[in-house]
Amino acid sequence: MTAVLPLRAAPPVTLDGLLDRAAATVPAGAAVACGPRRLSWSELHARTGALAAGLVTRGIEPGDAVALLAADGPQFVLGLLAIARAGAVAVPLNPAFKRPELEFCVREAGARAVLTEDSGRGVDAARELQAPATIALADVLAAGGDAPSSPAPPDAPAAFTYSAGATGRPKRVPRTHRQLAAEAGAFAAATALGPADRLFCTLPLHHAYGFGCCLLAALRSGATLVFAEEQGPLALDRDRVLALIERSEATVFPAVPFALRVLAEAPGAADLSRLRLVFSAGTLLPRATFAAFTDAFGVPPRQLYGCTEAGVVTVNLDPDARATAGSVGVPVAGVEVSVLGPSGEPVEPGRHGEIAIRSDAMTRGYAGVPDEVNHEAFPDGAFRTGDRGRLDEAGRLWITGRRKRLIDVSGEKVDPVEVEDVLAVHPRVREVVVVGAASGVQGEEVVKAVVVADGACGERELVRFCRERLADYKAPRSVEFRDAIPRGSAGEVLRKYLV
Amino acid sequence: MSVTTELQDFILDEIAPGRAITVIDPDDDLLSRGIIDSLGVTQLLEFLRDRYGIVVAPADLVPGNFRNVRAIEAFVHARQGGPVC
Repeated sequence: MTAVLPLRAAPPVTLDGLLDRAAATVPAGAAVACGPRRLSWSELHARTGALAAGLVTRGIEPGDAVALLAADGPQFVLGLLAIARAGAVAVPLNPAFKRPELEFCVREAGARAVLTEDSGRGVDAARELQAPATIALADVLAAGGDAPSSPAPPDAPAAFTYSAGATGRPKRVPRTHRQLAAEAGAFAAATALGPADRLFCTLPLHHAYGFGCCLLAALRSGATLVFAEEQGPLALDRDRVLALIERSEATVFPAVPFALRVLAEAPGAADLSRLRLVFSAGTLLPRATFAAFTDAFGVPPRQLYGCTEAGVVTVNLDPDARATAGSVGVPVAGVEVSVLGPSGEPVEPGRHGEIAIRSDAMTRGYAGVPDEVNHEAFPDGAFRTGDRGRLDEAGRLWITGRRKRLIDVSGEKVDPVEVEDVLAVHPRVREVVVVGAASGVQGEEVVKAVVVADGACGERELVRFCRERLADYKAPRSVEFRDAIPRGSAGEVLRKYLV
Repeated sequence: MSVTTELQDFILDEIAPGRAITVIDPDDDLLSRGIIDSLGVTQLLEFLRDRYGIVVAPADLVPGNFRNVRAIEAFVHARQGGPVC
């Protein structure tokens, strides 16, 4: 008989508590599977305690921020939970970030240390950081020790993540244990996740989508996180990834539209009939990708909607997947979604407006920003997402546009202002505007810079300049040189003439 | 300039800036080291098309053809019917 976690009993409201419960309820169940390696919930629990003890021995105190630089896999999971067990605040960072981006986040978060995996991209990234202290996960585990006995209180911050926000710099998003536990509970309940589920993880765990729908979801439900042992570019690995989904008997697959398209176009066949749920988020799912994936594998991708500030907001689990394929679904438990008119008043179903969220899982505001930023983003306690949409009569949310000028690149969000800020300091750039340009694939964009140059200046030089300072996905794929940036009568940039 | 050198230069100049990588050995594993990611694959495919006139077929999009510079060079030669100098 399959073990069932007591979802209805007062659930723990800290990451620690959730891990304790999973280890007590399904001790032998696999928490993480990665190639031939398998870590049960009781083993993960024990290792988390040992790693947390090692962090405390190295001077980490409750409330300290600890950056986590690890590739997506067992070590990321272990590192994050150990930071929580030590009462510290995890700052998961993207190992693909370049040195200036990493330094910004580490400095802004006030990270006391950087916890890295044993080898791989995270280690390479951490090596470039001169400060603060770098702690290798393997070294700490080897030292052993007993778990700290003072768990973090539910309303203490558990994680600092960063949100792209069309302001030039990522904004720090603090979320408490209680908020993360609320997201985990709501998503697990909506999707009826349990210990028998196997979540196939190709999403970056430092990102809100992977963090919530993979790591937190498994922690709450006792499900298994399945990782590919070798993680290469999906365009090359698609046959291997499909074979692994089939072989691992994955039941849930959260993905981005780019990945669903690439897998649907794979020349080989795969039996994915064990998948009961495939999710798509990050950017809107093109109808063609929905159809191609459904036709190829017989499982319709379901859209969900979320954000760094609130985690999972809505999930589409409608009985008629095809008819509602364009909707991101209905709010999960503890979440209220409203659509606001120009004056901030809720509009009737069917009317378009800005999407606002209230949620038990939502941050109470950005950290390290001027008050007016939070007043604008969280007036009356509701988060103004900047996205536009409508609610239908059944309460389903349909996204129709984005107010913020973020660029969708293969599921990643690029803040054009951040790229403009980098290019603006190049000595040959007099003026620059960064826009999202069509990639040739519906729903996917590429970053394009439009530059007014001050003297001789080449495209390759500017692209290289960006790639030295920004994660690769943020760097422009093309640079267009113009004599002037088109502007309206009030001096505003006329972006429609730049794409 | 040999294909090996061209590929090394391209990867260093166009794909790897900002990663503190100064040398690409022909046998370095570009995939496990994360030097070539999804965007890097796209760039490399464009380079193979523009420089060598090779349009990579879906069936050829496998790790073995792109694991390292030596493998990419072999793939270029195979598609062109001989070494390119």
